Amino acid sequence: MKRARTTRAAAILLGPFFVLFTVAMLLPIGYAVWLSLFTEKQSGLGFGGTETVFSGLDNYTAALGDRAFREGFGVLLGYCLFYIPLLLIGALALALLLDSALARARRFFQLALFLPHAVPGIIAALIWVYLYTPQLSPVVSAMESGGIGFDFFSPEGALPSIVNIALWEWLGYNMVIFYAALQAIDRSVLEAATVDGAGAWRVALSIKVPLIRASVVMVALFTVIGSLQLFTEPLILNKGTGSAVTSTWTPNMYAYTAAFERNDYGLAAAASILLALTAALLSFVVTRFTGRKGKKA
Amino acid sequence: MSRSPSRTSLAVVGTATALALLTACGGSGDDDSAATGTDGKPVSITFWGWAKGSKEVVDAFNASHKNIKVVYEEIPSGNAGGYAKISNAVKAGNAPDLVSIEYPQLPEYVSQGALQDIGQYFTEDIRKKLLPQAVELTTLGGKNWAVPFDASPQSFYYRKDLFEKYGVEVPKTWDEFRKAAEKVKKADKKARIGTFFPDDPTTFQAMAWQAGAQWYKPEGDTWKVSTADAATNKVADYWQGLLDDDLIRANASFSPEWTNSLKNGGTVGYLGAAWGAGVLKGTLPEQSGKWAVAPMPSWDGKPASGMLGGSTFAVTKTSKKAKAAVEFATWMSTTEDGIKARIESGTSSAFPAASALRPVAKKAFDAGFYGGEDIYQVFEGAATSIGPNWNWGPTTGTTNTTMKDQFGKVASGGTTIKDAVKAGHDATVAELKKRGLKVEDAG
Repeated sequence: MKRARTTRAAAILLGPFFVLFTVAMLLPIGYAVWLSLFTEKQSGLGFGGTETVFSGLDNYTAALGDRAFREGFGVLLGYCLFYIPLLLIGALALALLLDSALARARRFFQLALFLPHAVPGIIAALIWVYLYTPQLSPVVSAMESGGIGFDFFSPEGALPSIVNIALWEWLGYNMVIFYAALQAIDRSVLEAATVDGAGAWRVALSIKVPLIRASVVMVALFTVIGSLQLFTEPLILNKGTGSAVTSTWTPNMYAYTAAFERNDYGLAAAASILLALTAALLSFVVTRFTGRKGKKA
Repeated sequence: MSRSPSRTSLAVVGTATALALLTACGGSGDDDSAATGTDGKPVSITFWGWAKGSKEVVDAFNASHKNIKVVYEEIPSGNAGGYAKISNAVKAGNAPDLVSIEYPQLPEYVSQGALQDIGQYFTEDIRKKLLPQAVELTTLGGKNWAVPFDASPQSFYYRKDLFEKYGVEVPKTWDEFRKAAEKVKKADKKARIGTFFPDDPTTFQAMAWQAGAQWYKPEGDTWKVSTADAATNKVADYWQGLLDDDLIRANASFSPEWTNSLKNGGTVGYLGAAWGAGVLKGTLPEQSGKWAVAPMPSWDGKPASGMLGGSTFAVTKTSKKAKAAVEFATWMSTTEDGIKARIESGTSSAFPAASALRPVAKKAFDAGFYGGEDIYQVFEGAATSIGPNWNWGPTTGTTNTTMKDQFGKVASGGTTIKDAVKAGHDATVAELKKRGLKVEDAG
């Protein structure tokens, strides 16, 4: 009886999760897979309505064969290589600073650095587009008077512009995660190191950082997966400037444009699934790789 | 354990009953009597749009009609996400009854099967009240798909005060426009006569149209796509020259950057359409009295115009209330009250496709912003000069997104206007083929 009751309790408690998981995850994924196998055909001049025909993997080959889609992955790679090291090093440095005795007014800095994260991504992007606009932005005019001319809206300037927005949004958040991990380190280890004559630098780099490696890996993993979804910031930049990025700049934007600007839902579904597979594969590789290394250490 | 199956079956029965009740309720709204509505029991239709003054028009309609009640929802303008929203709703099966669609995008929606033929309600006697070119653009494959609202002949807006100060004549031809552009830049090295909109290929297309191009030509059941004709090339080279010589700006349309340059006198002209008069007035209230409107410059000095944007009202495929929706759309487009309500909102300068109502619009529009100039007279002249041969193809979504992406690279030297047009052309041909349509690639 007791066992049966536990099972029922588990079923009741887990039920809502699985219902939501099915409705919000499995069904849409299934629908996307189904959509990706069909294409719409028309006849005559095209004004007689559409006919949905099974097209097998045509949408997948079309997406993979489209240079714009492949270039999107190149953009993501560039973005990750640029953004992730900056984010990790920046967040780690700030967390270590806050954790060390050097920092005064810890609470204030913690809050101040975290605050940008409370701003929704779309609002952040709008604010930054304003701050990037020549003749309108105090930032750009300050830079100009300092002799630095940088066009944030040029195709070359787009990547730094977006990395900057992302850093602003995520630096404080990840810093808090690192800081919490640092706080959890057993103080006796640090005291022992100090007694052994290790300086603040040595303690930070040789003891603190290795001890919070798990958090660093987790943040890196989440950031990589988050980066694959890159969408809001470049979309706002695209709508607001028309010149900085194309409408297919990232794979997510490619899917969006295919669906809502070109009305090609099959292609959009195929592109989304390819992106999801990439993300799954990447997370698998990263967890596997870091997991094994963790065991060795 | 024995009790749970019965509970499950109860739940199933309950759900089924609920569903049956729901569908029954849904069904009752769809019969014929409800489609027209009566005074006692009005039929309610939903309408999505973004054109200036729409809310005022809906309010006026609701106040004067007992049989139909319109629920208006403002959506972002088409280019800025409105079309994505409409497509999404149609696909999801929860589209409103009536939507605003501009002429260039209409064929795309028709070809997607998103709209319904309204010929039954949008009859010949209504059609003949409207500008023939506009009716032509909404008649596709021999069927009527939308009620045209405005005609949107191109026109040139300029800062009268600054033109006088700089000693610049209002250009009548494109040669004169270039000279005027040089003069403006010479007088104030920060000022430019106008803007190339990298985000908006329809402005360029309207200018190709004006020059006599014909990008999409239906021949039998084949689309002849031709964008490398003499007219298009002439327009492309001309604008490339203006950009290369830094005689115009390159800013996104209606972006903060563009608006700011208008505010500080950095941009002294705007190649827009009739509806732009209201937009400028709403954007730059502090410059009231300083602006004027002139006909679009042309290649040979004779009046010529393309159409830039312009709204139509279309009924979505899933709507069961087409009759009421068309009645409302017709009221907005072809009645004195409908036009008056919109223009009197103060923000709209729409130029009605219904020619008989233009005096109404003119009277309702407060032209103080243009120093009392008779701007409707200018639009009238431009409207009669709209080239009659232009068609929009069924893949404008693909054409325009591709061109937009390429136009974005033109200003920084990444590509040329001609190559951008070519990219749009290739994408169009590929898309038509993908949909299984016959295409003649005429270069």
